[in-house]
Amino acid sequence: MKTNFLKGLGAKLKTWEFALLMILVAEFVVFGAVNPKFLALNSLFSSVNNYISICIISLFVTFVMITGGIDIQASSIVGLTSIVIGVSWSDLGLNIWVCIILAIVVAAVCGAISGYFVAFCNVQPMVVTLGGSFLYSGIALLISTLSSTPAYMGIGGFPGKTAEGIYTSFRLLGKWKLFDMIPIQLLIYFGLVVICYILLHKSKYGRKVFLVGINRNTAELSGINSRLIIMSTYILTGIGAAIAGILLTANVDSAKSDLGSTFTLSIITAVVLGGTLSTGGKGSIIGTALASLVICIMRFGLPICFGVSTQNLDLPMGIMLVVIIAGRAITSRLKLSSGSVRKGRLVQKTH
Amino acid sequence: MKLKKMMGRTRWISSLVFLVALFLIVGSINSSFLTAESIISCLNNSVVYMLLAVGIAFVILCGEIDVSIGATMGLAAAMAGTMAQNGQSLGVMIVYALVLGIAVGVFNGIGVAILGIPSLIFTLGAGGILRGIVYLYSGGRTVENFAGSFTSLNNTTVFSGITWFFTLAFVIVIAVYFILTYTKRGKYFIAVGDNINGAILVGLPAKQTKIVAYIISGCFAAFAGIIFASKYGQVNIVAGSGYEMSAIAACVIGGISLTGGLGDVIGAMIGAVIMASITKILVFVGLSSDYNNTITGVMLITIVVVDALTQRRATESARRKRLAARSAPGASPQPLAEEVAI
Amino acid sequence: MIESNGAPKLLSVRGITKAFGTNRVLKSVALDLEQGEILALIGGNGAGKSTLMKIIMGIYQPDGGEITINGKITAMTKPSVALSSGIYMVPQEPMLFPNMTVEENITMGFKESQRELRNRLKNIMEDIGWKFDLGRKASSLSIAEQTLVEILRALLREAKVLILDEPTSALTFDEVESFFRVIEDLRKKGIGIIYITHRLAEVFEIATHVSIMCDGIITLHGPVVDFNREMLVKSLMPPNTEHVESKANECKIMDYEGKKPVFELQNFSGFGFNNISLKVYPGEILGVAGVVGAGRTELVSTIFGRDKVLGGHAVLDGADITGMKTKDILKAGINYVPEDRYLYGIYGISSVGSNMSSASLNDKSLGRFILNRKNEQSLAQTYIDNFRIKVTDQEQLMSSLSGGNQQKVVLGRSLSTKPKLVIMDEPTRGIDAAARGDIYTIIQKLRDEGVAILLVSSDMEEIIELADRAVCVFQGRINAELCKEEITQDKLTSASFGVVTEKEGAV
Repeated sequence: MKTNFLKGLGAKLKTWEFALLMILVAEFVVFGAVNPKFLALNSLFSSVNNYISICIISLFVTFVMITGGIDIQASSIVGLTSIVIGVSWSDLGLNIWVCIILAIVVAAVCGAISGYFVAFCNVQPMVVTLGGSFLYSGIALLISTLSSTPAYMGIGGFPGKTAEGIYTSFRLLGKWKLFDMIPIQLLIYFGLVVICYILLHKSKYGRKVFLVGINRNTAELSGINSRLIIMSTYILTGIGAAIAGILLTANVDSAKSDLGSTFTLSIITAVVLGGTLSTGGKGSIIGTALASLVICIMRFGLPICFGVSTQNLDLPMGIMLVVIIAGRAITSRLKLSSGSVRKGRLVQKTH
Repeated sequence: MKLKKMMGRTRWISSLVFLVALFLIVGSINSSFLTAESIISCLNNSVVYMLLAVGIAFVILCGEIDVSIGATMGLAAAMAGTMAQNGQSLGVMIVYALVLGIAVGVFNGIGVAILGIPSLIFTLGAGGILRGIVYLYSGGRTVENFAGSFTSLNNTTVFSGITWFFTLAFVIVIAVYFILTYTKRGKYFIAVGDNINGAILVGLPAKQTKIVAYIISGCFAAFAGIIFASKYGQVNIVAGSGYEMSAIAACVIGGISLTGGLGDVIGAMIGAVIMASITKILVFVGLSSDYNNTITGVMLITIVVVDALTQRRATESARRKRLAARSAPGASPQPLAEEVAI
Repeated sequence: MIESNGAPKLLSVRGITKAFGTNRVLKSVALDLEQGEILALIGGNGAGKSTLMKIIMGIYQPDGGEITINGKITAMTKPSVALSSGIYMVPQEPMLFPNMTVEENITMGFKESQRELRNRLKNIMEDIGWKFDLGRKASSLSIAEQTLVEILRALLREAKVLILDEPTSALTFDEVESFFRVIEDLRKKGIGIIYITHRLAEVFEIATHVSIMCDGIITLHGPVVDFNREMLVKSLMPPNTEHVESKANECKIMDYEGKKPVFELQNFSGFGFNNISLKVYPGEILGVAGVVGAGRTELVSTIFGRDKVLGGHAVLDGADITGMKTKDILKAGINYVPEDRYLYGIYGISSVGSNMSSASLNDKSLGRFILNRKNEQSLAQTYIDNFRIKVTDQEQLMSSLSGGNQQKVVLGRSLSTKPKLVIMDEPTRGIDAAARGDIYTIIQKLRDEGVAILLVSSDMEEIIELADRAVCVFQGRINAELCKEEITQDKLTSASFGVVTEKEGAV
C-alpha cells in the first residue's frame, strides 16, 4: 500500500502539478529576494482576505469544468450570499447562524437553477451562467434595496466584537487566528481542499464526475445519471461561492451586493492553470489549489515587491494565462507531430 | 404559413417581433413611452452595444466567443480620450482604433484558430492583458476634460433627433448584413460555425475565417470605444468592463446561437437595442434601475432555454417520425431523392 | 513502375508512407484508378484506408510518396488543392452544414455567381434525373439524402475522382439499391470511383476492380471478375491466423425441454419497431438478424431504457422491467454492449480500469461513498486476465488500445454487473480477425456459464456461427424465427430482405 502510494507520488512529481509547485517556489524566491518583507508571513496572512474567495471558488469550479461545463456566475453568488446574510440579520432580525444557513441554501438553489438548465435542457453552460451572473447579481441588488441601509454603504455591525476589540460569534469566521497567526480563512480553505480532494479523487461521486465529462453517452449506458451529476457540480459551486461570501462578510463586517464581482477572470485562470481540461474529463484539485496559490502569491507579491498597482493586476494575470495555455498548446502540438497519437473519428455536430 | 417559414429561416424577424411587442407592452403601461422622442433616445443609446454586439456576432457565428471586447473598447476609449484632449480629429482616432482592433483581432485569432486554445479562456486572458494596458496607458488616472467638440459629436443629429453615430452604426450594420448574406466570403463565417470539418472538406479557409472574425470583432469594439468616450466624456480604467457580457446577451436575445452557424447581425442589432432600452423601460413602468440585471438575466435564460427546448423537441420528433415511418404497417421504403414539391 | 499503356492514369498513388509517431499506418502504398472504374477498397479497421484517402484529399500530409493526377504530380497540401484537381471525398458521415439549405450546402466554396451555380446544378440534376427541393434545410435530410447531396457537390465540382467512404453503412436496404444505380450512372459517365467498404457482397455487386489493404500495404489488386468471395476472405485474414469458421461447426443443439425463459418481450413496441415478441433462455444465444436500419438497435436500446416504450412488456426473470431507467435495468440484471463503440462504449481519456468498473459504480461492492480501489482493481484484473486483454497496466489509457482490445474491455464491463442477459449490438464491428476469434470464444464461454445473450448482428456468418436460435427483424418487426439447424445464410438473407413473410419454425 505504502509503496504504491510512493510510486503514485513519484509519478505525480513529473506532472503539471509539480511544475506549478516549482513556479510557486520560484515566486517565493524572487519576491523574497526583492523585498524580504514579503517573507514575513504576517503581511501575507493579513491580506488573505483579498484572495481566499478565488481559491475557494476555483476548487469547486474544477468540478464543473471536468464535466465539460463552465461557471461564470459564481462571483455574483458571492455578493448575493453576503447581502442575504446582511438583510436577513439586520432587517429580518434572524439569528446570525440561521442567516448563514439561509445564505448557503440560497446559493445552492441558484446553482441548482443554472445546473438544471445546463443538465436537463442542454443549454450551453456558458450562456446559462452568463444569464445567471446577471440574474443573481440583479437579485442581490434588489435584496439590498429591501434593507434600511443604503446599498453603497453595506450592512455592518455584525456580531460580535466586544468593547475590548475581541471578536466573538460570527466575526470569528473572519478574524480568528490560530496561534494568533494563521487566519481562519486559510484553515477553512485547507479543510475544503481536503474535502474536495476526497470528493473528486477518492469517492465514487468524483469518478462519476470524470466519466460524465469524458463521455456522457457511455456514462448514461453505465447507469450513471449524468444529468444529476452535472447539476450537482453547479450546486457545489454555488455552495463554494456562499462559503467565500460568508468569510468575506465576516472579515470586513460589511454585507454588500457587489462583493466578488471582479473574481471571474482569476477563478477561470486558476482552474485552467491547474491543468483542468476545459473540454472536460481531466483535472485535479491539487492542480487547482496550487494554481490558485500561484495566482494569489503573484497578486500579493507584485504590488509590494515590484510596485505594480493593485488596480493593475489583470495584466500579469492575463499574461500568465495566455503564456501558459499557449505554451501548453504549442508543446502538445509538437508532441502531436512526433508522438504516437491515435486520431479520433470526426464527429459531426448534430445541432 | 409563409411568415412562419420566414421566421424559421430569418431568425432576426422573431427578435424584431419581440422588440415591438416589448415596446407595445411598455407603451400600454405608460403611453408616454411610445413617443418618437423616447424611442429615438432608446435607439441613440444603443449605439455602443450595437457595435459591440455586431462585431462579436461574427465570432459567435463562427462558433467561438470573444470576451476581450470590453477591454478593447476601454483601451480604444482611453486612446480616443487622450487624442481628444490633444485636439486630434475623429479621423485620426478611427485610424488608431482600426490598428488597435486589427492587432487585438490577430492576437486572439492566432490563439484560437492557429493554436486551437478554447476561445473563452484565451480571450479572457487577452482581456486581462488589454485591461492592464489601459492602466499603463492612462497611468491609472481617469481620462477626462476632452475638447467640447468631441463630446458634442455624440449629440450631433442627422434628422429629428437621430444622432450621427446611430445613423452611421445603422448603415454599417445593414451593409454588413448584406455582405454576410449575399457574398461568398460572408457565408464562410456561418459555414465554419455550422460544421467546421465540413467547411475544411469543401476547401473553405476555416482558420483564416476565424481570424477575420476576431479582427472584425476587435475593430467594432474599438469603434465602440470612440463613441463611448464621446458619450460619457470621461474614461476610467475599468471603462467597458462587463460590456462583453452585455454584447453576448444582446446576440443571444437577437437570435444568434452560441453553438455557431445560426443567426445574423440584424438580430444582434435588435438585441442591442433591447439591452440598451431596458433601463429606460424600467423607468417608464415605474421600477427602479436596480431591476436592470435581474430582467436581463431572466430574459437571457428564458430565451436560451426556450430555444434549446424547441430545438430539441424538433429534432426528437423528426427522429421519431422517421423511425415510426420505417416500422409502420405496410411501410413502403422511401425512394431516394424524391421530389418534395417546391 | 512503368505504365503498361500510354494514357496517363486518372489517379495514381505511389509509395505513400505515413506514420503517426511510431505507429506506421501506411507502408508504401500504390494505387491506380482509371476512368469509369469502381475500385472497391477493402480491409479491416486500422488497415490504413481512411488515412490513405485523407492523404489523397489533402487533409493529412504523407511522409513520403507521390500522387499523380492525369500524369501530373500534384502535392496535396490542403483540401482545396485536391478539390481543384477534381477529387472529391464523401466521408462516412456526410459533412453538411445543418443550418443551411441544400443549395447553399452544394454551392459553398465556389467562386462563381450563385445564379450560374444554380443553373449548372439544375442541369446536372436533370441530367441524372434527380429531383431535390434545393430550399430544404440540411438538418431535415435523412442520411441517405445527405449522401446524395454530397454526391451532387462532387458533380458540381466536376469531380473526376470520387471517393466514397462506406457510403452504405447508414443506409437502408432499399436506399442502398437506388444508391447503387446512382453509382453505376456515374461510372458510365467516366468518373473514377474509389469505394471503401466492409461488405464483400457490395464488391461483387458494383465494383469493377478490387484492392485489399492490410496493415498499411495493398496486398491484392485486380479486376473483380478474377476473384471470388473465398479468395477475398482469405486475403483479408492476417497471415497465420487460422480460419475462424473451422472450429465452429461442432455445434451443440440446445435442449429447451423444461427450461424457462429468463427474458421475454411481449408485444413490445417503441420508436422504430413494433409488436416484438421473443424469448431468451438461460445459456442461449439468440441471434437478432436484419439489415442496418431495420429497427434492431432501436429495439435493444429501448429495452435498456434509452427511449420511450410505446406498448407491450419486457419481463426479466419474472419481473416486469418495462420502461425502467437504465440504472435500474442494470441492477435488475441486463447489460448492453453498444453498436458504436467510439460514441457510446468507451471513455477515451480514462484508464482501462475505470472503463471496466464504470457500470459497477452504483454497486456497494465498490464502496458506499469512497471508491474501493482494491475491489476495483481486482474486478478489472479479472477481465483483463480472462479475456487476455493486452494492456501494460490498468492505468493505460483506453484510447491507446486497439479496437479489439477496447471491445474486450467493453465486454468486461458488461459482465461486471453479473447480468442475467447481455445484449450485444454488433460486437465485432470494425474488429480485426484475430480479436474477432477471441470475442467469439468469450461469447461462447458466457453461454456455457448460463448467461443469456441477445446477439444483434448484420453479419450473417456471425449469427450462423454463434446463435442457438435466431429471429430476423424486418422493417421494425420480427418476420422469421429460426432454430439452430434452420439458420442458414440463405434463410437469414431472404428474411432480412423481407422475402419471407410468414413466421417459420417457432420454438
